[in-house]
Amino acid sequence: MEASGTRRAVRREFLRRHAPFVLSLAAGMALWEIVGRHTSAAFMVPLSATLARVVSMVASGELVRQFLDSAALFITGFALALVVGAPLGLLLARLRALRIAVEPYVMILYATPMVALIPFILSMMGFGFAPKVLVVFLFAVFPVLYNTVEGARSIKPELIEVARSFRSSEWALWRDVMVPYTLPFTMTGVRQAVGRGLVGMVAAEFFLSSTGLGQIIMAASQNFDTAGVFASILVIGLIGVALMRLGLHVEARFARWRR
Amino acid sequence: MSELAIRPVEIATARSAAGAAVPRLIAGLAILLLWEGVVRASAPAYVAKPSGIIAAIPSVIVRPEFLDATAQTLLAVAEGLAIALAFGTVIGLAMGRSTVAERALRHYVNGFYAVPMIVVLPLVSLWFGYTGGARLATIVFAALFSIIVNVADGAKSASQDYLEVARSFRSGRLRTIVDIVLPSATPYFLAGLRLAAGRALIGAVVAEFFTAIGGLGFFILYQSRTYHHDEAFVGVLLLAAFGVSFELAVVWSTRRWLPWYRRDEAAE
Repeated sequence: MEASGTRRAVRREFLRRHAPFVLSLAAGMALWEIVGRHTSAAFMVPLSATLARVVSMVASGELVRQFLDSAALFITGFALALVVGAPLGLLLARLRALRIAVEPYVMILYATPMVALIPFILSMMGFGFAPKVLVVFLFAVFPVLYNTVEGARSIKPELIEVARSFRSSEWALWRDVMVPYTLPFTMTGVRQAVGRGLVGMVAAEFFLSSTGLGQIIMAASQNFDTAGVFASILVIGLIGVALMRLGLHVEARFARWRR
Repeated sequence: MSELAIRPVEIATARSAAGAAVPRLIAGLAILLLWEGVVRASAPAYVAKPSGIIAAIPSVIVRPEFLDATAQTLLAVAEGLAIALAFGTVIGLAMGRSTVAERALRHYVNGFYAVPMIVVLPLVSLWFGYTGGARLATIVFAALFSIIVNVADGAKSASQDYLEVARSFRSGRLRTIVDIVLPSATPYFLAGLRLAAGRALIGAVVAEFFTAIGGLGFFILYQSRTYHHDEAFVGVLLLAAFGVSFELAVVWSTRRWLPWYRRDEAAE
């Protein structure tokens, strides 16, 4: 008796929490389906046709192949951005004079739309893998660097002074003050870099040599294949959502000790 | 009054900013010299270098096609931002103040926000053709969701105590929004605007690359394709200047009008 009561309470709690999401998702899907059926197929396709196209792209193996291609590009560029951005930011955190000198330039590069450099990269480096990695890198590195430097700026001088008064070694100062204090900020940068890097990836695939998921969209739009366009946008959109979730999760993990 | 609001940290920052001018100038010169040296030593003659860019500035900025491109891009960004602001504020306020709207829309807003905006290009060019409409739609898509997310967070941040007091005094719904919700949402709104402006600029440039309808993005693309990299780079400098001035304008107005607010690292 009691057990079933608890189970009912659990079920009610589950419904209360998830019902609005499920309802709004169902409403959105229905809306897409209905609007899609009542507009010209050249402009919009219903959800069912879009999903059918996703299934056929998976079945033909094309989606997986192009996805792996895009993933290789994204991961290479993103990893480079991390490996360069985070240590450089930490170095600037420690060397105050250098940080003050280069801070405005980091800010300028952070605020510059890096897409504008794509035509230069194209005519200097051509169509290989390296120029595309450079694009992803340029999109992703400045959020990491900028946020790390912001974090470094906010380290209280007292903390370093106290560490020094206790004759802390340089290594201990990094391990116990610099890194723990700046890491949450770096992680905010990492999350931003995920979003920007993804834009960079698609931009590189659009405007440099056409490969990966970007190529699927480009090919579909050039063939006026609206179902293909919707299917590939849906796939890339879901990848974006998944990566954003992952980024927020990572950021939240590191934000625990940040005030 | 305003002097009271300045914290000691800011005074220290202001003092160090004056002393920082010299190292910053030296660092800037060093960067330019390095760039010039590397390009001269190891790159083909057409590659942009500081001396070439500086030499190109006077002739480029008076060219009618450059001025026209700049005006086109800026007008489109301003128009798109205005549309995104109008819709984003209304939707954001609704989400912040009503649980139903919040639950119905939250996942869609977050979802669209996470979609790399550049993927909508083929779709908007299908819908609007290769026209300014496609560019405008891209800009609105790029800017809208960061405004909604931030306004919604801001509207939620309104103090529960103030809201209760307003309710006790039988304040109307509109009155409550104007006098309590909007002021507390303002810093979030500014943070959202700052993100939206940057994204709008990127949206405009990628749309101009994609549709080749003119504007600064197309100017850069065309000049660099014809190996006029120095001229093309003047366009990049202008875009960077816009990006930086949006950023500075928002930071400045937060400090000027909301001195008690410490800028939060808002979501991007």
